[in-house]
Amino acid sequence: MSAAASESQDIETVTTAVSTNPGRRGQPDNKTRRYDRQLRLWAATGQAALESSRILVIGASATSTSILKNLVLPGIGHFTILDHHSVTPEDAGNNFFLEGPKSIGKRRADEAVRLLAELNDSVEGRADHRNVEEVLNSNPQYFLEFNVVIAHNMQPALVDKLAKYLWSEPSHPIMMVVRSAGFVSEFFIQFHEHSIIESHSETTPSLRIDKPFPELHAHAMSIDFEKMDPTEHAHVPYVVILVSALEDWKKSHGGNPPKTYAEKQQFKKRIQGMRRKPDEENFEEAEAQAYRAWTETTVPSEISALFKDSGLSSLTPSSPPFFQLLSALQKFTQESPHTLPLTSTLPDMRSDTKSYIHLQTLYKRQAEEEKAKFKSLISEDVRETIGDEMIDLFVKNAHALVVMRGREWGSFDQDRAALAMDPSGKETAKLATHLAFSALSSLTLQHQTPTVAALKAEVERIAGTDVELPEEQLDAAVGEVARAPTADLPNMAAFLGGMVAQETIKMITRQYVPQKGYLVIDMVDMWTGAVGA
Amino acid sequence: MSVAVNGNASSSGWQGQYYHIDQVLDRPGPRTDPSFLAGDGVKDFLRNQCKILVIGAGGLGCEILANLALSGFKDIHVIDMDTIDISNLNRQFLFRPKDVGNPKATVAAEFVMNRVPGVKVTPYYGKIQDKDEDYYMQFNLVICGLDSVEARRWINATLVNMVDPENPESLKPLIDGGTEGFKGQARVILPTITSCYECSLDMLNKQTAFPICTIANTPRLPEHCIEWASVLEWPRVFKDKKMDTDDPEHINWLYNTASKRAKEFNIEGVTWSLTQGVVKNIIPAIASTNAIIAASCCNEAFKIATSSAAYLNNYFMLIGTEGVYSYTFEHEKRDDCPVCGGQTMDITISRDWTVDRLIEMLVERQDIQIKKPSLSTPTKQIYFQAPPQLEEATRPNLEKKLSELVDDGGEMTVTATSLPFSLSIRVKYT
Repeated sequence: MSAAASESQDIETVTTAVSTNPGRRGQPDNKTRRYDRQLRLWAATGQAALESSRILVIGASATSTSILKNLVLPGIGHFTILDHHSVTPEDAGNNFFLEGPKSIGKRRADEAVRLLAELNDSVEGRADHRNVEEVLNSNPQYFLEFNVVIAHNMQPALVDKLAKYLWSEPSHPIMMVVRSAGFVSEFFIQFHEHSIIESHSETTPSLRIDKPFPELHAHAMSIDFEKMDPTEHAHVPYVVILVSALEDWKKSHGGNPPKTYAEKQQFKKRIQGMRRKPDEENFEEAEAQAYRAWTETTVPSEISALFKDSGLSSLTPSSPPFFQLLSALQKFTQESPHTLPLTSTLPDMRSDTKSYIHLQTLYKRQAEEEKAKFKSLISEDVRETIGDEMIDLFVKNAHALVVMRGREWGSFDQDRAALAMDPSGKETAKLATHLAFSALSSLTLQHQTPTVAALKAEVERIAGTDVELPEEQLDAAVGEVARAPTADLPNMAAFLGGMVAQETIKMITRQYVPQKGYLVIDMVDMWTGAVGA
Repeated sequence: MSVAVNGNASSSGWQGQYYHIDQVLDRPGPRTDPSFLAGDGVKDFLRNQCKILVIGAGGLGCEILANLALSGFKDIHVIDMDTIDISNLNRQFLFRPKDVGNPKATVAAEFVMNRVPGVKVTPYYGKIQDKDEDYYMQFNLVICGLDSVEARRWINATLVNMVDPENPESLKPLIDGGTEGFKGQARVILPTITSCYECSLDMLNKQTAFPICTIANTPRLPEHCIEWASVLEWPRVFKDKKMDTDDPEHINWLYNTASKRAKEFNIEGVTWSLTQGVVKNIIPAIASTNAIIAASCCNEAFKIATSSAAYLNNYFMLIGTEGVYSYTFEHEKRDDCPVCGGQTMDITISRDWTVDRLIEMLVERQDIQIKKPSLSTPTKQIYFQAPPQLEEATRPNLEKKLSELVDDGGEMTVTATSLPFSLSIRVKYT
């Protein structure tokens, strides 16, 4: 990029002026400072994945450049715009990455790449002036140079052909198909399989209070509540209180934890009875967390469901590392105590520093031990090839792993049963909108004008009679598409720009959970909803 | 309007400029209100008459300005009191490295005017509180892209106060957007008619506050060590010298001090980035969420200005961490809202409560959150935060029981200098 050299000098001058001691220990470098607000969401690992990604966008529409803007800013590695058109007066009116009348008549890909590249020196941008149809016919392997292919309002025949080609091999790039018309739109992510270690789920892993590991058990048993001074007593961490109280309970209940509602209340009463003063916050916490004592730590159902995934049944040494690790995890859970490996992250709790740090050390030690055991269960053929960093992450997130399986573009519309299953109550509006887009594509293929009547007839043809769509909702969706069939509104372009970029980032970083099926958007009544997920 | 074939009378326009937008302005959709006047009239209002104010030229503001300009708003004003920092560049796309240190409002306005010919963007580099009602009265619409609760409360109360039932022009729709990481919201406020910003104050996430005794005596987390360094050690060591969280030297000192304490207590995890995050209360921010929320706000502005579709009633909430989840609902007006409700708020407290304890409650309660409240009854001054003489004169009351100063069922007025409204409270004792 031509502008790169001069801009990077600028950033250098600017930042040395701000930071007088740039080399100081711990202080972030310029790149870290620039990306600070996003690194707090996806960390260096996510950033590295973004920086090695290559994105292809077909056609430099307003929506396309909005999507790219939100990918260039956070710092993808490379993007190409494939577009053989010149800028029309219409293009120049709604696209922020064209320079109004100055851009009219110039190559659209050149203009868009130039103005997008300005946003971030570390991103490589390229304009490709070839016709996508010709490339698709003569050299489809071209598309394999990318990780993600994004197509907005692309000619239906070409979308179908490109999607089919990309679907033909699981290793091919994923595809984002985006369609918009005025105030309504939808997008779809075509992928075969998507595994996620860092889903950033809000569920927390078990602390194993019901199945305390030997060191935790011994520690809790060594605590003599009677002999403590009042300050010590008010600072025993709730984990220790619960382990100790549960042990006590079990002695008088045939080795069982509290089971019935009455027993659970009784158990809570006991904890209350352990207090010396009514305001001991650690005992309050113990009471609030009492469920941890009677909830059996097992393998969460979402995780045991993964053990039945086809990625495991067909495991070979060449399977992706995720499935190698998942297989080790399954073996781990088959042995006593039939749980996931222990996490070393202890939540904050009322305690003095010494007791808390001691408890934390016990958890860390046990977690290390279990991780070592987990590692020994990884198939020997691949153990050396999987980095420790990935193993650490996998164990830490074992309670929130996700495997998603996607479907081929267009297959939902041919699945009458799925179409009929989908709508219920108010949910029909999103299905109606999706079908209005399918109808628009199909009319475009037949070179027909998308009138309300034609669109409605086409929706009926696609959906058949089994799908019940209330007239009002169908009219609302179809009417909006017919009102502005080719309108790429600036606000819808910006909205889609954010949504599609965000889902692309989730796919590339393999962090957070992307959308399945079609995501339908209606900016008249301002809602979003998933169809065919 | 004979020259305005494309609905554009301005000389800088060109044939086809509004090809996309005109598709929704030339004809109604199935859900469009019958009062919509398709065609030239609505285009003329949008492009030649409508005046819109954008508050904030940061993450949301940059996006908002670009969207409005492309949507056909021609007379846009923007207020922002900040200058550009390097950490803005991952999302505030109107700024380049060479702009670091310059006012956001000015740079953003320049950029948009260069990129979209025919649009006038008037910047003001300063605070919203610098402007008076006459200033706000000149706009048809106000869009906020702010990160400060205080500023939002100020503009919200100002616009509610401005409403004169005799003059429909005095009602200025307020569109407010906000983001945090993958989450965000956009809402439409019709001052005095729909729920206002103050009505929904209790929806804000409560900030994590660490008790002072934990920080001072029983630190367990790296955050506790960082708070110790900034809240207790800095004032002890530097006395009156103010901490500047934008000064890397200051952060460095805090980082080193926190690290030492962490080491002493065997606590792991104090980093430079965490130190900065804790003391600056940094909220993660990305381009994509800002784009979505800003687009939602501008779409509402466009719909209100043109009537081409119904506007949002009245709250759109987005969570993008697990798939795309959004929820659209009507947030209800609160009768006892101190800004738009008009009704007195009832509180019940213990007869033993001191004035000081009551003040603590006013600061903490999610639906009140008044930082430095002053209290009075129609006949008595209970406690005033300022001016200094009055503060001194009323200070002894802090230790007194409120029940000695206000009768059961008596009314009290709460004011704060940062907020242009007062709250009426009726006190009952248990």
